[in-house]
Amino acid sequence: MNLPTLSLADFFPLLPAILMVVGACILLLSEVFLSATASRAYQAVLTVVTAVAAGAVAVVMMFEPPREVMLGFGVLDPFSSFLTFVVCVGLGLAALSSVGFLRRRGAERGEFYALMLFASAGMSLLAMSNELITLFVNIEVLSIATYALTAYLRRGTRPSEAGFKYFILGAFSSAVLLYGAALVYGATGTTNLTAMVGPLGAAIQAQPALVYAGVVLVGAGFAFKVAAVPFHMWTPDVYEGAPSPVTALMSAGVKAAAFAAMVRVFFTMGQGIDPRLPLALFSTLAFLTMVVGNLMAIPQRNVKRMLAYSSIAHAGYLLLGVAALFVTAPGEQFRLLGPSELTGGSPLDIARAGALRGILYYLLAYTFSAVGAFAMVSALERREDEEKGTAWDLERFSGLAQRRPGWAFAMAAFMLSLGGIPPTIGFMSKLLIFQSAVDAGLIGLTIVAVLSSAAGVYYYLRVVVYMFMRPVPEGAQVLERNWGTEVALVVSTAAVVVLGIIPGPIGAWLEQAGTLFGR
Amino acid sequence: MNIELILFGAFALLTLLSAGMVIFARSPINSAMALVSTFFFLAGIYVLLWAHTVAVLQVLVYAGAIMVLFLFVIMLLNLGESPTRGRPTLARLAGGAATVGLLAVLVVTLLKVPGDVPAMAPEAQASFGTMALLGQTLFTQWLLPFEAVSLLLLVAMVGAVVVAKSRI
Repeated sequence: MNLPTLSLADFFPLLPAILMVVGACILLLSEVFLSATASRAYQAVLTVVTAVAAGAVAVVMMFEPPREVMLGFGVLDPFSSFLTFVVCVGLGLAALSSVGFLRRRGAERGEFYALMLFASAGMSLLAMSNELITLFVNIEVLSIATYALTAYLRRGTRPSEAGFKYFILGAFSSAVLLYGAALVYGATGTTNLTAMVGPLGAAIQAQPALVYAGVVLVGAGFAFKVAAVPFHMWTPDVYEGAPSPVTALMSAGVKAAAFAAMVRVFFTMGQGIDPRLPLALFSTLAFLTMVVGNLMAIPQRNVKRMLAYSSIAHAGYLLLGVAALFVTAPGEQFRLLGPSELTGGSPLDIARAGALRGILYYLLAYTFSAVGAFAMVSALERREDEEKGTAWDLERFSGLAQRRPGWAFAMAAFMLSLGGIPPTIGFMSKLLIFQSAVDAGLIGLTIVAVLSSAAGVYYYLRVVVYMFMRPVPEGAQVLERNWGTEVALVVSTAAVVVLGIIPGPIGAWLEQAGTLFGR
Repeated sequence: MNIELILFGAFALLTLLSAGMVIFARSPINSAMALVSTFFFLAGIYVLLWAHTVAVLQVLVYAGAIMVLFLFVIMLLNLGESPTRGRPTLARLAGGAATVGLLAVLVVTLLKVPGDVPAMAPEAQASFGTMALLGQTLFTQWLLPFEAVSLLLLVAMVGAVVVAKSRI
């Protein structure tokens, strides 16, 4: 039997994930030598440095030609590198906002940051996975790390409840995904996504029920991971119960990686089977997710819970972009063109490529805005109030503009960005997705998206109103400053505002990043 | 009658007998011990199928590690003999019906399999199911998923310790 050989250069595409795993192992091993009272400030710094290094490598890799790596089990394309970059941004900002959060609770441990790094390594590998088994294992890596992080603080009932709920429902959804993948494998005889395109076309003729059941189950599994309605039930409780920096990582990184894997899997499926099936699937999910997410967020007075519902709504806008990827003219073969081939493409080709760019830009925009907002939430909350249930109440934000004008400005920027109001990055990214959805002909769905995001502005602006127009409540807690939170806020506010005014710098990247392997 | 068939008959019969004991034993410890012997005899059948590696793993992992876990749980919960046979509730009836249904589907499917399985090619027989081949395949072709699984095990271990530690 001929066995393939691997050289050291073959491992280069995995470098961001390797860096994060090494960083995590250093954190785990160094923790052993520390006394209970030793300073642990280096842990967050090491995590941030690792995230920056991995993100820098990802940026370099974005300009590598797209190719299969590790014998076809993974792919290196600008799409996966961009997603790795987004994950690193989320990881770095979440780690910065953990510093003060953990210190106030006396809960600083190396394991916390190590699990964050492990989860991010899983996300980076997930964005690269090109084979169903690898994909599933990486989903589990990031899921199990986030289950443990959710239950990291266990005073009171909320975190245990959140951790347990997340674990049980997450295991269930993984099983659904795995079963769907097994059916697809049974129909096509291969788990490799690139090799699957041909057999899928033959299998759909021979055993349509098997293939459709597999595709729908895989879709349902992913819908749970990205928190799409009607698979969203776990999201508010888990997001509320988890430590706020972990919620930030979940809302940004987990979602980005799950969307990346979903796009890659269904991009393969769309070539083999009728692309109208994924179109119908994602249009329905997008419609339900946008409407339900926004409507449920409106009555929330608990800001953390409101952000959880808002993250569901944002998954809906992203799903609108995913649906726009699969719009085809009657009888047209589904394809996605890279940036260099677009000049000769049809209007639908341009719309689909725009939708892919829109998804990527949206994920970056959402990462900056949501992680920033959760950093703010974690800076304001106090453990003593958690049992009373007022730790995340809107009242916390009353008069913040008089007490900490900088914080209030940052939070206002995040809220405007999440609401999609110019001049913020959130507006630019929403515009890109909505525009490509209209170009693709999904006009009804886009009208629903615009109306529901207009409804969303209400609950985002309510936070701004509380910060700037309400008096400081009597006996308000002292607001401690912490370097980690401050840096996280400055970086994300700068990104939200600057990229909203001058989207240019990452425009070229996005052109490039819309290149998926295997077109 | 060749020796392979005799061995297969013996292993199959013993597997069925001990599997039956798992269900019918009154004490949980006896059930667990019967499960150990079921795993052992199953491993014998794997050897007859040329799946040596699977047989070794079966003994190491299932009959070894997992059974120890079972026994620990039984001892920790301090389970005694079950006093009475339970009455047939709706859930039990549904479970029984599902099991019978699954058996029927399996029987129908297996009856469709052609009886004379083609003999294995000699060059495949030399290395099929051996540890050497498994190792070579795992560490070259399947390296990425293999390393991802290693990462998964590490994460699961760290996560379990984090969740089980004293409250912070």
